[in-house]
Amino acid sequence: MQSKLTDIELIEQTLSGNQAAYADLVKRHQRFVFTLAMRFAKSREDAEEIAQDCFIKAYRSLSSFQQQSKFSTWLYSIVYTTAMTFLRKKRVDTSSIDDENVYLQLENQGGSFDNNLAEKKSRSYYVNQAISQLLPDDATIITLFYNGEQSLEEIAEALGMEANTVKVKLFRARQRLKEKLEKLLKHEAKELI
Amino acid sequence: MNSIEEKLWNYIDGTCTPEEQQAISMLIETDEVYRSQYEELLALNQEFSNLELDEPPMAFTYRVMEAIRTEEAAVPLKAAINKNIIRSLFAVFGFIIAAVIIYALFTINWSAGSTGTASLNLPEVKLPVNLPPAKNVLSSAPVLKAFFFFDVVLGLFFFDAYLRKQRAAKQF
Repeated sequence: MQSKLTDIELIEQTLSGNQAAYADLVKRHQRFVFTLAMRFAKSREDAEEIAQDCFIKAYRSLSSFQQQSKFSTWLYSIVYTTAMTFLRKKRVDTSSIDDENVYLQLENQGGSFDNNLAEKKSRSYYVNQAISQLLPDDATIITLFYNGEQSLEEIAEALGMEANTVKVKLFRARQRLKEKLEKLLKHEAKELI
Repeated sequence: MNSIEEKLWNYIDGTCTPEEQQAISMLIETDEVYRSQYEELLALNQEFSNLELDEPPMAFTYRVMEAIRTEEAAVPLKAAINKNIIRSLFAVFGFIIAAVIIYALFTINWSAGSTGTASLNLPEVKLPVNLPPAKNVLSSAPVLKAFFFFDVVLGLFFFDAYLRKQRAAKQF
């Protein structure tokens, strides 16, 4: 029954002291928040830490949510700022898209690239790999646009940018993603030969 | 200014004006370069849309809620104090005050009212004999009563502080 409630209804219940309602909100958004966190962290442990931090921050400031935007947009803005803070703290290597080392690192990651033949055949696997090689900003915009069901205006709000800037960034991110994907697939074709 | 690719992405996203949309639509139909690039971008768009989300660990929600519960338990004592504790303290204080008043009322010799002196059966306090006469005021009944009453209140105050400390220690 609870799962049929809207985000706003769950927020109202949470604010009136029902913690189970917030647990439902977490369940509803955790996959996307975790995916966004993965775009920054690159390791599941760090992504979990970021995602958990986001939900705790959101809970703390739930009463300040004005309901002028979607809850998801508000939540993603928290994810973005939390992840950026995390990056600054951990000084994670946000290597350039042109850095070939990233590609080499990816090849050597636990041997998964070479060993998992079943996954190799899935094109979405390569798209995911290509996204993981993008800069966090590019990867975030693509994820928000395609998976987060967010309009350009909503992405702009979440990231604190102008809608036109987001539009340009999305275009560039897609170009880079396309290039990365082509590179990965070319590499794969060479390996098969 | 806009490249073919940018125009086509705008067309696919539906972010161009109706006039632009019509023009691009015409170009896709008539121009081979536009058509092939459009088909390529459309396929990519489809692939990007089908991206799967990462799955967080099974106990993720539980951990978040546990972290929230722990944080809430650590809020300042003033904000988290249980109303029942306040009620019980109020009851204890009320009971003691009532007991003192009742005791005082029962020990007053009402018949002595006509003589203008009230006698209370208070414990005898022997003060040092070499005290100056002015200090003998301490042996008067109202002063002693006030002194004992103040002691009781002070004792309860310290007991209350001790209980608060115990409760705070349990929470951390």
